[in-house]
Formats: sequence, structure tokens, C-alpha cells
Amino acid sequence: MNARSTYCDGLRRRDFLRVGAAGLFGTSFAGALAAAQGRAADATKPGHDVSLIILFLRGGMSTIDTLDLKPGAPSEFRGEFRPAATNISGVQICEHLPRTAKQMDKFSLIRSFGHGNSDHGPADHYLLTGYKAGAGFTPTISPNNQRPAYGAVIARKLGPRGSVPPYVCLPQMHPSAGAAYLGPACAPFTIEADPAAVNFSVPDILPPLSLDAARLDRRRQLLAEVDRFQQSIESRANANAQAVSTFKQKAYDLMVSPQAKRAFDIHSEPAAMRDRYGRHTLGQSCLMARRLVEAGVRCVTIEHTNWDTHDNCFFVLKNELLPALDSGLSTLFSDLADRGLLERTLVVATGEFGRTPRINKNAGRDHWGAGFTVLVGGGGLRGGVVVGASDARAEKPADNPYGPEDLAATIYRQLGIRGDEEFTTPEGRPVKIVNQGRVIRELV
Amino acid sequence: MRRTPALLALLLSIVFARAILADDPGVAIRVDPPTLRLAGPDASYSILVERVLADGRAVDVTHDAEFRSLAPGVVDVSSRGVVFGAGNGAGLVDVFCAGQKASVSVVVEGSREPRRFNFENDVVPLLGKFGCNSSGCHGKAEGQNGFKLSVFGFDPAADYAALAMEGRGRRMFPAVPEESLFLKKATGAAPHGGGVRIESDSREYALLRDWIAAGLPRGDATDPRVVDLEVQPSERQLAMGSRQQLRAVARYSDDRRVDVTRLARFQSNNDGLAAVDDRGLVTAGSVPGQVAVMASYMGSVAVFQALVPNEQPLADAADWSEHNFIDGLVHQRLRKLNIQPSALADDAEYLRRVYLDVIGTLPTAAEARRFLSDTGADRRERLVDELLARSEFADYWALKWSDLLRVDRTALGHKGAYAYYHWIHQRVADNTPLDQFAAQIVTAEGPLAEVPQAQLFKVTAKPGETASTISQVFLGVRIACAACHHHPFDRWSQSDYYGMLDYFAPLGQKSSPLGEVVLASGGAETRHPRTGELMVAHPLGSAAPLENARGDRRAELAHWLTSPDNPWFARHQANRLWAHFLGRGLVEPIDDVRATNPPSNPALLDALAAYLVEKNFDQRQLIRAITSSRAYGRASRPNDSNARDEMNYSRALLKRMDAEVLLDAVCQATGVGEKFAGVPAGYRAVQLWDSRASHYFLKLFGRPTRASACQCERNVEPSVAQVLHLLNAPEVSRKLSHPRGTVARLAGALNDRDQLVDEMYLTFFSRFPSQRERVVAAEYLDAGASDRRAAVEDLAWSMLNSLEFVFNH
Repeated sequence: MNARSTYCDGLRRRDFLRVGAAGLFGTSFAGALAAAQGRAADATKPGHDVSLIILFLRGGMSTIDTLDLKPGAPSEFRGEFRPAATNISGVQICEHLPRTAKQMDKFSLIRSFGHGNSDHGPADHYLLTGYKAGAGFTPTISPNNQRPAYGAVIARKLGPRGSVPPYVCLPQMHPSAGAAYLGPACAPFTIEADPAAVNFSVPDILPPLSLDAARLDRRRQLLAEVDRFQQSIESRANANAQAVSTFKQKAYDLMVSPQAKRAFDIHSEPAAMRDRYGRHTLGQSCLMARRLVEAGVRCVTIEHTNWDTHDNCFFVLKNELLPALDSGLSTLFSDLADRGLLERTLVVATGEFGRTPRINKNAGRDHWGAGFTVLVGGGGLRGGVVVGASDARAEKPADNPYGPEDLAATIYRQLGIRGDEEFTTPEGRPVKIVNQGRVIRELV
Repeated sequence: MRRTPALLALLLSIVFARAILADDPGVAIRVDPPTLRLAGPDASYSILVERVLADGRAVDVTHDAEFRSLAPGVVDVSSRGVVFGAGNGAGLVDVFCAGQKASVSVVVEGSREPRRFNFENDVVPLLGKFGCNSSGCHGKAEGQNGFKLSVFGFDPAADYAALAMEGRGRRMFPAVPEESLFLKKATGAAPHGGGVRIESDSREYALLRDWIAAGLPRGDATDPRVVDLEVQPSERQLAMGSRQQLRAVARYSDDRRVDVTRLARFQSNNDGLAAVDDRGLVTAGSVPGQVAVMASYMGSVAVFQALVPNEQPLADAADWSEHNFIDGLVHQRLRKLNIQPSALADDAEYLRRVYLDVIGTLPTAAEARRFLSDTGADRRERLVDELLARSEFADYWALKWSDLLRVDRTALGHKGAYAYYHWIHQRVADNTPLDQFAAQIVTAEGPLAEVPQAQLFKVTAKPGETASTISQVFLGVRIACAACHHHPFDRWSQSDYYGMLDYFAPLGQKSSPLGEVVLASGGAETRHPRTGELMVAHPLGSAAPLENARGDRRAELAHWLTSPDNPWFARHQANRLWAHFLGRGLVEPIDDVRATNPPSNPALLDALAAYLVEKNFDQRQLIRAITSSRAYGRASRPNDSNARDEMNYSRALLKRMDAEVLLDAVCQATGVGEKFAGVPAGYRAVQLWDSRASHYFLKLFGRPTRASACQCERNVEPSVAQVLHLLNAPEVSRKLSHPRGTVARLAGALNDRDQLVDEMYLTFFSRFPSQRERVVAAEYLDAGASDRRAAVEDLAWSMLNSLEFVFNH
């Protein structure tokens, strides 16, 4: 359990002492602000820290209709959409993703991906952790993690960068995005709000507007005096009370963090940029992810729902889902590249599985874990590559099959985290970060 | 003809004579065993060496001792004290330690006999020892790279097929055994994702090689099998930082005992108290307490228990007074561990704790004032009696049971879930004894409208899920693992699991004029998934009868379940209550009862269970006993000797309030209630039957969704978002500034500053302020005199955000 001492409490030991000694509760709000700004300056030193954005298309995106079209397949398979050229010659994607097609040089497609699980819950867990769900998995619990999600591992291994949390979920936390045995300190900070909402704000991050700075200062000083357990041996002898104390520090950090404040204030983004991302949940979530990564967040997991297109799949994709994906994802890549962030931001867009290549009687497609396409780009990975191929009807990988373990091996490699390191579960079971996956060589 | 387990095959007769002591009577060393008979090829046994202290305690010195064979060629001995039979004959092994000498007399027989292999006894344990069949490798459900073994070797027949026959037989090459892919991979001679697992110069390698060369014999069905496992010693007191070597001895069906220390798996249930390595060497840490180290081998488990006391002896001043049977048993343990308990809680601390624990409700300022002015010697008992009679008691405990029994609206619908909740609530309010409560649920049959408790069979849709839910909720035993394989840390096999499942196999739901009906229809068959054998319903740990009872089998189960002799039921119900009040179960987690997770204080658990039985399973009686004990009534403030103790009840642990309880506390203290969807105004959060009703606060603070019967679903883990919510949320802020709230009321009504501060402290913390706190608050109010209500609001905000408020302490 030595690894535990690294960063998981969200504050480096030294920072904690510094803040504690300065007395966030004892000294002034302005002083705390200055301390936080000091740390912010440290955190923006140039480096090659790679961040991760996961755009999780929950429900399962139909990749045969989007990223791996099969125009030569029989009509009951190929669907209504036609392939269109991208800015990489010879590579085609769906005609309804025209802006994404122009960014193809920045990302790659793993077309020989699959894992054989066609149940939402277990497949979600598989994609978001790199581990198959085992016996006793209960998808309806939240969090349901038997293994930690990417962001939790990243929070544990790399710790926070500046005064923003290392791991953020939005616009809600996916049930498999939890920290499992890495504990509450590695759990995501979840923004439970839709960034596309007109009055969007991160819940509870700011004190009520009616309180001026002087009164806030007074309140905090009073709290420090009133809370007799805060500094007492009662709380030191109790892990949960200690955690609350730590989280109180983190909460104050967040409240006074200019980085966080700026990042969360999506309204300060130029209207033209917000329009480019698209004024919808998916687009604004992508924009928020970019803002967070820019501010120092190491992993953002976006959960976008409604991809479970059992009925009327073509209509829903064409009119609703693909336009949103096209504006959000294409702008995310171009924007990251324009800001020089793409090299150190790895973007993964995937559902938990693909959809049945054979179209069902409701003009939809059902769950299909055997073979689908995963989109990855940035973070030092090669762009414009098509990895492997599916068979003639996109039913399963035709060559070079890859799965969630391999994706995990590749992601952690790019983030500088060793996949063969182990965590110990509370039951004493050692579990490797990566479950024996292979790095996807075509991409590195 | 007798067959010998070939690996380490030996016949042992351990003479339980008095230990051979060294000459010097001052410091003696003791060897175990003093005489040893090794029989068969490759026999070995490890010697344990102890020093006997003046007070009779034994201290392990095995790894400080030197071993010398006086008969090389007959007896070999390793530097770690493992004796090997090298040739037939007899000889002594001398053991030297701290200037003392002791001897082991060894007889070696049959060392040159040909080895007779048995796959299950000789090969499968090695697959476990080297991790081949672990759940992270080839033991995974889907195997690893095309090679699949049964996890922990529970299915030797399948493992034999995988090794000897699958892969077109390429894994084994008896003509040149060293060329077998199996050995080449395991030793790293061929590329192996799992790395080097076996050294090619080891005894284990030689054994596997010889087994392959012998033509992969499986052995006979009549060969002896492991029947149980023993860990030696079975218990010891360990000084902090000291070491203890363990020996694992397997007993075979022909009564032979084989030293399997090198092959057994060891695991501590608390690494902080004592860690164990894979050779069975235990190292105590620096935390006082009781720890269990499990050894497992071939489906058998055994436990070594160690007591690790504080180094500092007890001060004389400690107050060891006892109130009831609980205290003597807690104190016994604390004395053994040199842990001095905290002082008793003062009345205010006790008041707040007992309100929150018994009725999930904060005392009001008036209630606090009344109790704090009560000087009767029996005031605490009278208070508990009052609380047990309040309607909030039924609300709170119905909520707890509804979590476990899964009153889940998404699975049952509004009507079904409400009726189910109402049934539970009524039983709690009527104080239905726990045995009857369980029996009424387990045997429920008929129209759901009349027997709403039968909803359990609807929410656990499959008989296997029902069986594992029932055993987890009522017995604390988790059997779900055994659906697919032998429980890795307990005795439960697939037969046990399907035996329990078979009770519920005949259950079905039908629609009828009376609405939906749960019925047991005869004749349902359950087959063992591996052997295909027809299963007969039988309770955990009992032998299966030849055929199923006539009629509804569940009556038999309910009878067994709630019998006072049931080894789990009363203990588990007692432990559940104990854990609720003391913040930690005697078995922890409370619903993971197994031989390898023993209670931290078995005598206390037995006594609590016996008390519950004596009181005819009346839980209020046990609550009275618990809440009146000194153990429950201690202060949360630790002392030097118990600050690191969390498992022996030497101080009150801080408990994060349940989501509903905390929300109600916020509402009550601020004087502003919450409006919940679907229930009339005035309902409190602990009264909500629907765990899915959307509510940000409840979700944020870990209300369970009731998707499983696990106690763990209720999440009391803190998070940044929770802290932020109490600090900043407009919902909380509105309660503080509400015109009819506590702040407005007190700021308006009480002109006297001290009276106001008293009332605030009573309202939020259920106590009077200390002198210093009075001064701090008074200064704050004075400084803010221009806007008195704002200043009072700030004080309320500070109190709400204090650890003292958020925790039950």
C-alpha cells in the first residue's frame, strides 16, 4: 500500500502542510487566494504531461454507420449512409461527419476492435477500466467499479496539477467512472450540470452571491474557531473525518482557484467558439473538457447518452446524434491543435460496443460487442492511421484484433503510467493497472 | 494397497510428548515437533523453534536458530529448519539458539520407494502456488491466451484435460519432459506473458518433470484426499514488530499429515496489524489489536490468530467499571492488548449519539435541555426506553431493512414497493421478533397484495439471487462466489450454493384474479452445473438429504434459519446491531462472515447472540443492552494508548451520518423542512420509502439505490462535492436565511446574547457551549451587532459545516 502515500489525497503532502500552516481557515481569504495563485504558477511550467479526454458515447455508437462503413455489404447490413472522403487519402468515414472528416489527420481509427460483450453494464465497465466485469458485478450501483476507471488511476499515479482536481466527470458521472479500491480521494469531481444550459454553473462551487468577500472571510475564521474537531485528536484518529478535513481544503482550493474559476466559466468563452463546438450538451461538454485540460485537469470523462439506437437508427443518427458529434468532436481536435494542446491531450471517443451489422425490423441496430471501431487521437499518438480492419460485414475484426486491455495499455503508456504496476485491493489481492494488454503498435 | 500422496509424501507421527527443553532452566528453547517420522520419497517437514519466557509465553525464534544434522545422508536440514529425508535410517537434528540447544529426533523410512503420483494432490497445488490458476491469469473465466485452468484449482478434472489433452496435447511431452511447453513457459525458456514462475532447479520443477515423464498419471479415485488443514501454532501473542513462522499441515483422508507450508496461500485480514509472506512468516506491525492470518490449501482453510498488544503496560488509573455483560468481555480484550479505554462520554455526547443511533434524529434544543438537566441515576436508560417507543424508531429501522430487502421502485413499481415498505415498517413498529420477521419473508407465498413481503422474490428474480440475498441478509454469509467455483476463502462449494438455490427454484409468479401471486410449484429440478447431478435442497453446511421434502421446501429452510442453534442467524443479527451502534462490526464487513474472517472478539459475539436468543429475538432488548454498556457510552476522544485502535471498542468511533439522517438534521437544526416528491409535506427523509426519488442532497451523500443486498451500497464516503454543498449550496443557504427558520426566530426572540448562544449550541450540537466557545461567539455577535441576524446566520453556517455536526460522535 505504499503507492497510497503518493498523491491520492489530492494534495501533495508538502502543499497540504503549507496550506495548513498558512491556515486556510485561520488567515484571510485573500491570503489563501495568493497561495493558490502561487501554486497555479508552479503548475503551468512547461512539461510533457499528457491529459486524457474520454468522450463516452453511452448506449453504443453504431460504427458501421459512422467510422467503418461497408458500402459493398448486402443491403440488410450496409445501411443508408454513404462513405465520404477525409483529409487522409484512402480513408473514408460517414458522409454525415463532414467536419470530422477534415480532422482525420489528427486522429486514428481502430477498426479491428472488439470484446465480445454485448451487455451495457459490463461492457461499459470493460471500456472505462480496461477490465472485464467479474462475478457479482452490479451495474445499477453507482459507482459500480470493480476496477478503477482511467481517471482514478491517473489521479492516484500522477496527482493533481495545480489547484484543479485531477479527474473530472461531466455532465454526470458514469456509474463505472469510479475509483473502486483506490478510495474516495481518487474519485472524480463531478460537475452535475449541463454545460449547454443557458444558466450553467458548477454546482456549489461559489458561495451565495449575497455574501461579500469580507463576510466570507469572517465566516471561515469563525468556522475554524467553532469546529473544535477540526484540529483535535478526534478527527486525527478517524479516517473519514480526516477525509472530510482534506476535502474541505480541496473545496476551498477549488473555490479560490483562479484556474478552476476560469475553466468552469464557460460563459467567458467567445460566442463564436461556443458556436463552433455546437450549442448542445455534447458540444459544450467537449468545450468544457478542453477548458479543464487547459487548466490542468488530467482526465475528463464526458458521458454522452442516447446512442442506444435500437429503433430508427438512421433517422436519429442523421438528424440528432451525428450533427452533435460532428461539431463537438471536430472542433475539439482543431481547437486543441490550434492551442498547441493536441500533443499532450489524448482524446478517445467510443461507445461501450458497436451495433449489430444486420439491421433489425425496427430499422435500428442492436448491441454488438464482437467488433466495432474506436477513435483515438492526440497525446503523441499517430494521426490519420487506420488500425486493422473488420470483416466484409463489419461483424468482427478481420485482422490484428484489439480489445479494451490493449486500449488501456496504449492510453497508460502515453500518460507515462506503467501498466504492470500493481494496486492491492482491500481483500489483499494485487491487481495490475493493465490486464495484460498490448500497446497498439500501429499508433505509437 | 495404500497410495501415498507423492508430493512431500510422508507419514508422520508427531509425538505430543512434553517439549524437549534445553538444560538451562533460565531461558529454554522448545522445538516442535521434538520427534519426527518421515516416510516416502521426498518427505519433508519444517521445525518451529520457540523460546519460552519466564512468564510461560512462547516467542518464535525459528529464523534466529541454527540447524545441524548429526546424520547427513539420512537427514538433511535447510537453514530455515526444513528437514528432508535423504536416506532410510534415524538421526538427530540439533537446534542452536541464544546459547541454548535442543534436538529433534528423526526417523526416515521408505525414501527410496517409487513415487506414486496423484494429479489432484501433487500437481494442482503447484498451479495454485505459482499463481497459474489465479483469477488474474489462466484462472480467469476466459483463460489466458487459450489456456484455461479452473480458478484456484476447484475443478481438477477440467485442469487435467487442459494440461494433458487440450491444445492437441502439445503442452506435455512425456518422452522428453523438459521440452514440454508447460515447463518451458513456466520457467521462461519459452516466451510467457506471465514471466518466470518456476525455477528449473527447484524441487517443484523436478516433481512436475517426473510427473510428465511418468506419463501424466491422474491417480486413482480411491487415493487419499485433503480433508482439512491446520495452521501451527493456532494462536500467539506477538510483540509489535516481532515475527512468527507458521506451519501449514494438511490432513489426508487416511489420516496422514503433510507439511504444505511451501504450497499453501497465506493472507492476513489486516495488513496493518500483521503482514504475512508467501512462506508463512508473519510480521506484526505497530498497531494494537487482534489479527487473523488465513492459510488455504486445496479448498481447506485454517486460521492463525495473533494478539498484538501495546508495548506500554496499562496505567493503574484506568476506569474498568462494568455496567453489563458486554463490558467485561470488552475489557478482557483491552487488558490483553494493553489498551486503555477512553473516559465515559458526558451526557451531552451520549444524548446526541443515542438519538442519532436509535431514531436517526437529532435531539431538539428543548429535548437536549431537558435531558441535560435530568439528574436521575437511570436517566440514560430512561432516555433509551423513550426513544425505542417513538415512531421515528420504526421509520429509521424500516429504512435500514428496506435497503437490505431491496425495496426498489424501479424493480417493483410504485405500488409494489410501497406495500413492501409498509409491511416492513409495520413489523418494525410491532416489534416483530427477528426470527419471525425472517421466517415470514423466507416462506412468503400468495397474492402480493396480501403478502407484500413476497416482493423479495420479485426483486431477486432468479432463485440463485434469492438464495444469496437471503444468506447475506439473514446470515451474513456470502455464497455468490460459489455459483461458479468453490469459494476461495471459505468452505462453500457449488453444491452448497445450488443446495440453497434449490429452495427457491420452485417459486414462480402468476397472475390471478387476486392480482400477481407468488407460488411454489413442486417438481422444479436443479442440476449441478459441472457434474450435472440432481441437487436436493439443503441448508448451508448441512448434508444433503436423498430427496426433497414434500410440499414447500422453504418451511424447512425457515425452521433451520431461525433456530437458536443456527450458527449464523443470531450472531449475524447481533453483529448487525452492534456494528450500527459501535461503528464497526465484530465481524467486519458485517455481511462477510467466514471462517477466515473471524470475529475480533468471539466471546462478545457469542454473548450478544445468546442474549438475543434469550430475549426471543427482540431487537429492542439487545439495543437496550448495547446502549447501556460502558463500551457504547465512551467518549470519542482518544488517549495515547487507544488512538490507533479502531477494532476493540476502546473509544467511540466517529460515524458519518446516513444521507437521510444528515438531511433531516440540517432541516431540524435550521428549522426549515424539505419537500420531497411523492409524499405529503412534513415528511422527513428517513420516512421516504422510495430510494429512487430524485433528490440531489440524498444522492450526493450516498443514499443506496437498493440494487443489491450489500450493506456496502450505502455510501458514507465523503467527497469534495459534499463539502462544497454544505458550504455553498443555495438550498442550504436558503434554510439558514429563511424568515421562519431557526436563525430568524432566535435572532428575533432572544435579546440576551448568552441565551442566544446557548440555544444555538443546543440546537446544532445538542450541548451547552464551553466558556471559550461562549466568548468566541459573543465576540462575533458583538462585532456584527449592526446586522444581528447576519451574524447569527454566520454562526449557524459555521456550526453546520463543522465536523462535529456532520459526524455522529
